[in-house]
Amino acid sequence: MKLQTSQILRDYMRSDMLPTTWCPGCGLGIIMSSIVQAIHYQGLAKDDVAMVSGIGCTGRMSGYTDFNSIHTTHGRAPTFATGLKMARPDMKIFTIMGDGDAMSIGGNHLISAMRRNIDMTAIVVNNNIYGLTGGQSSPTTPTGSKTTTAKHRTIERPMNLEVLARAAGVPFFARATVNHTASLVKMVERAMNISGFSVIEIISNCHVLYGKMNQRPEASDMIADMDNDTTRSNPALIKRSAQAVRITSPDAPYGDHEDAEEIDHFHTDHKTGRGIIIENKGSVDFSTRYYDMLAHLKGQEGKAGESA
Amino acid sequence: MNHIRQGIFEIRINKNYCKACGLCTAWCPQNVLAEDEEYYPITPGLKNCINCKLCERHCPDFAIEILPPEHPEHSRYKGLQ
Repeated sequence: MKLQTSQILRDYMRSDMLPTTWCPGCGLGIIMSSIVQAIHYQGLAKDDVAMVSGIGCTGRMSGYTDFNSIHTTHGRAPTFATGLKMARPDMKIFTIMGDGDAMSIGGNHLISAMRRNIDMTAIVVNNNIYGLTGGQSSPTTPTGSKTTTAKHRTIERPMNLEVLARAAGVPFFARATVNHTASLVKMVERAMNISGFSVIEIISNCHVLYGKMNQRPEASDMIADMDNDTTRSNPALIKRSAQAVRITSPDAPYGDHEDAEEIDHFHTDHKTGRGIIIENKGSVDFSTRYYDMLAHLKGQEGKAGESA
Repeated sequence: MNHIRQGIFEIRINKNYCKACGLCTAWCPQNVLAEDEEYYPITPGLKNCINCKLCERHCPDFAIEILPPEHPEHSRYKGLQ
């Protein structure tokens, strides 16, 4: 008998910490369950997995899952994860970061980790805003949207992690939304098996802060809109979009919603593609270089100890 | 073609974890789930359920459990494999 999702989750969560402190309807819970399912389907034991997270709403994720977990300083999650990978090369390491954590405060560290190309999976949750601190503009806030620090709408262009990942030579980059739970699990599974630094950007919803200021106060509206606010780049998804709509509830807004004109100020060139998968087949996992260097240094220390 | 037997799965909602966000009711394609006066999900239309498990997948708080009839915790479990 195939286990149901909720029964898989039961084994991997710290149930005494539940319910989560996230807002009702936050996509972070969906992301957490996808990661847990991917780990379960890959047949990994809890002790073989480490979860490193930074600060923010996303950073709380390491506290709810029953893996080896570190809750680190703001933006430095990939840095701590690099050190962990050096000490325990056998571990599967997940680095969970929010958009502010990964792209603004820890942007430097993310780029360095991408260049260093050490075997770990970075998951960047992009919800367009700084959620925990009260709705300030983040590097990924789309042009023309209201935030607490941009009352007269943002005029800056959002950051595109895909292009950064291409430039830094990441072996694997994928982008998904929380609306597509099944493909999210498959993407995480695929990224886990890449030898090197693999990045998944997951587009999530912050309906409580971002949605309230941008005419989307309901979580279900905002998640359903992810189909419209992201361009399809994966041929399989383009094919599927031509088929019948999956959300058939009469109350669920989809496609031709009433205030479609209000979001027209989001220019089309700021749409982000979803379903992107970039994989550089020939890239080399550099961690062996670092292990060799460590072994060499240890050997030198040993020689120095013998002579003294 | 697979034949879907409607309404044989049991939908269990854990009210300690549920935050009444309304995602499961919005996503249910068969109107199985509805909201009570406190906006918690209830299952009045369970006989229409097509076992798609969208509610379980989209629940961000792990509050929904879907039990197949062959599961020992199912209320009508008869010990069949």
